[in-house]
Amino acid sequence: MELTGITSYLIISFILFLAGLLTVVSKRNIIGIFMGIELILNSAALNFAAFSRLTARSLEGQMVSLFVIVLAAAEAAIALALLLAIYKRYRDINADNLTTLKW
Amino acid sequence: MTLGLREIVFISVALLTALPCLIVVFSRNILYSAFALFFTFLGTSGLYFFLDAEFLGITQVVVYIGGVSVLLLFAILLTKNIDEIRKTNMMSGVRMIMAGFGALALLGSFGYALTGSVWAMNGKGEYPSTTIKGLGDLLLSKYLMPFEVVSILLLAVLVGSLVIARRSVK
Repeated sequence: MELTGITSYLIISFILFLAGLLTVVSKRNIIGIFMGIELILNSAALNFAAFSRLTARSLEGQMVSLFVIVLAAAEAAIALALLLAIYKRYRDINADNLTTLKW
Repeated sequence: MTLGLREIVFISVALLTALPCLIVVFSRNILYSAFALFFTFLGTSGLYFFLDAEFLGITQVVVYIGGVSVLLLFAILLTKNIDEIRKTNMMSGVRMIMAGFGALALLGSFGYALTGSVWAMNGKGEYPSTTIKGLGDLLLSKYLMPFEVVSILLLAVLVGSLVIARRSVK
């Protein structure tokens, strides 16, 4: 297995994905959860770019990566605006305490 | 597996990407997590440069590090708790253990599947030496519709985030 082959990029992006998954599931701070979401999106974009260069040898995977980066930035803006609105209302960003919508 | 300069640099960039992830997961201080996330994005940008995707690497630095990380730090500093910063990013114990088991199971099964499978190579595709011209051509010919839709989405995000985070009008 060569070191800069496709497998090592897949393993790296999988480690990023698992770290993001652990962060999303187990953090209490909403910003911590959001960092996990960013890690997951980052791993998907890296995966697309790796396949585009090393397997498909075309530029379309990088196109998808570009759109993933744009969407992640847009989602960052909305998520943090929501976070500011929640903080203004409840003065608390602990995800376990925000249970008003729970039935 | 020869250990030339390229392999050594690749291993160090891969470690720069993967090790701060562990700090993001396991750190209890949210500022440490935010700065470790910054280093993860920097490592991913280095990996894009290894993949000959130089436009994507620069875009990663500009958008993720210069945009998303800065926004994240602003949000952390605007919603800082009154008590100490060192305990701001706690983890729930039970969820952590169960998620850890799931992650280890996924790591084992996916690792086995990834290292054992053979990926079909597209032999007749040729990869351009600089990607930016090819990406520009694709963006305005084949991917014109997603391009326009994303621009409308960004307009919606701009207006929406202003509406959500504004002072309520009495």
